[in-house]
Amino acid sequence: MELKTIGLTKKFGSKTAVDHLDLTLTNGVYGLLGANGAGKTTLMRLLCDIQEPTSGQILLDGKEIAGLGEAYRDCLGYLPQQFGYYPEFSALDFLLYISALKGLGESTAQTKSRELLEAVGLSKEGRRRIRTFSGGMKQRLGIAQAMLNDPHILILDEPTAGLDPKERVRFRNLISAFSKDRIVILSTHIVSDVEFIAEEIVMMKSGRVIHFGNPQEITSEIEGQVWECTVPAASAERYAAAYNTSNLRNISENQTVLRIIADRPPMENAVRVQPTLEDLYLYYFKGGYEK
Amino acid sequence: MKRLIYFELRKIFSRRLAQIALIGVLLFTALLSITTYRNKYAYDPYIGQGSGKAAVEIDKAAAARYEGVLTDETVRKMMSDFAPASDLHGMNAVYLYQNATQSAAFARFANQDGSWNGQTVSDVFGDEEIRIGYVDGWLSTSQNMARSFVALALAVIVMTAPVFSGEYEGVDNIILTSRYGRTRCTAAKVTAGVFAAIFATALTVALNLILALLFYGTEGLDCSILFASIDYVEGFIPFNITCGALVSYQVLLAFTCTLSTVGATLLVSAMSKNQAVAFVVSMAVFLFPALVPITEASPLFRLVGLLPLYHVLAVALLSVEQMGNGLLYAVWAVPAALFFLGVGAVFSRRIFARHQIV
Repeated sequence: MELKTIGLTKKFGSKTAVDHLDLTLTNGVYGLLGANGAGKTTLMRLLCDIQEPTSGQILLDGKEIAGLGEAYRDCLGYLPQQFGYYPEFSALDFLLYISALKGLGESTAQTKSRELLEAVGLSKEGRRRIRTFSGGMKQRLGIAQAMLNDPHILILDEPTAGLDPKERVRFRNLISAFSKDRIVILSTHIVSDVEFIAEEIVMMKSGRVIHFGNPQEITSEIEGQVWECTVPAASAERYAAAYNTSNLRNISENQTVLRIIADRPPMENAVRVQPTLEDLYLYYFKGGYEK
Repeated sequence: MKRLIYFELRKIFSRRLAQIALIGVLLFTALLSITTYRNKYAYDPYIGQGSGKAAVEIDKAAAARYEGVLTDETVRKMMSDFAPASDLHGMNAVYLYQNATQSAAFARFANQDGSWNGQTVSDVFGDEEIRIGYVDGWLSTSQNMARSFVALALAVIVMTAPVFSGEYEGVDNIILTSRYGRTRCTAAKVTAGVFAAIFATALTVALNLILALLFYGTEGLDCSILFASIDYVEGFIPFNITCGALVSYQVLLAFTCTLSTVGATLLVSAMSKNQAVAFVVSMAVFLFPALVPITEASPLFRLVGLLPLYHVLAVALLSVEQMGNGLLYAVWAVPAALFFLGVGAVFSRRIFARHQIV
């Protein structure tokens, strides 16, 4: 299966959210990284055919998705960034409803819904009304609904938002087990989640892809530009503000290690270290928001 | 498809506001019927006076004495039986109310002092054969139904306004990315909206009729509405139809009103970005004709009268014309309702299916 975008562009008035994007996605897990406003959510909505592109094409195995209609949606699973629910429905009812929308038979829907409630750790809460759920529980329910139809293309927008560390690990395992022979696209601000499960990283800035490749490949761009420096704890904050700092770690009462991204050694005692995806993210998106 | 309709119905009926609206209409209907019944008053020179149940009994007994086809002889007997026993102190006897039969007779055949005005049945009613009897109960019911059905239409708006607009508050992106989200789901939404409206209408109609049967019985259903007491605007419907026919028309118009309202509301719902806007706009669309300065005498009323509000107000629409086949012009409300429903169903589905998530 191949999902391809050709010159994909989406404009909102004068703002270009997605700018002439050419991407080819085959089976695998793709992590979408980018600051707020980089165009990740818009790209996902375009791929889900719930937003019309201003120009360009999205092809599934060479056919335009807009023309595929039900056939395309049949192989699609989507978790939006913010999704609504029916407060009076129980979790199980909600999944059964989405199953009906996805065209699952009644007995399959029952089986699949219970399986997924188990998989996301909600099996004991199946009969509870959604309005009584915490944010994390709702998010897990959202993940479950996206997977009901065993989609070949699974698109998850911020799936780990609101999940505690244990739930995030459960999610990562779930996606890893699920992703064989499928296209899974997920966006998150939690870089470590992407680092763990994504085989390919798509880094976006201003609606364009600035990096596309596996984590090792794309972090090589800042190879030799990540340093660790030990500074007095009292002046750590001053140094952190002066440099592009990706981490700050106290090693003793009066000493702090700063992880700095810079072309040259920021200070004499700087030690060159191996770059991570988080370093690369901060290198591009210091400040966390794109205007 | 059945499961989708089931879930859509659950969504409609699980909303607290919809439950309150439906229960509110039923309570309003019951209260209206009970208070009307309890406030009945009647006096008959041969029986005495009473209120509530006693008044209904007195009215029935008074009507029974003259039951049958209205003749000049019956008129003269009524005018003599109900002649004022005391000085009216200048009050016009047309407005004198002793009981429903007396009031109906005086409204048409009395001079200011309560004596017979010399008019014959054919002077007042032409060649029509006017069957008289106890019509007060069913005319009260008719009057209450008009009020109850207006409340019902508003409740139907409350129930169906969120059908599409409610999804725009976050579930739309899940629905629109699912296999049947743009096809069967939209059809299920429209079907569920129609079922919900029919159910609410049937319930309200049934409650009105059950209470009417309990309070007034079946007497008068075969009698003409034209011999109505002065209290009833139904008496202004210029066609010799029975109370049974009047109630049947009103029940039909209740269904055409709610179906038309569902059509319009679904369309507004699909176009509105949230439920509150859908409620307000749908209510405004429904009530707007009340502000249009067109009377039933205007030729334009033939069109305006087919808007849903006039279906439930009934009297104006029922007064337009009696067609060659004996049916009243009001039956055009049926194709009008199908038109509103069809337009609402087609366009609301299309708008929702093509809706862009932003």
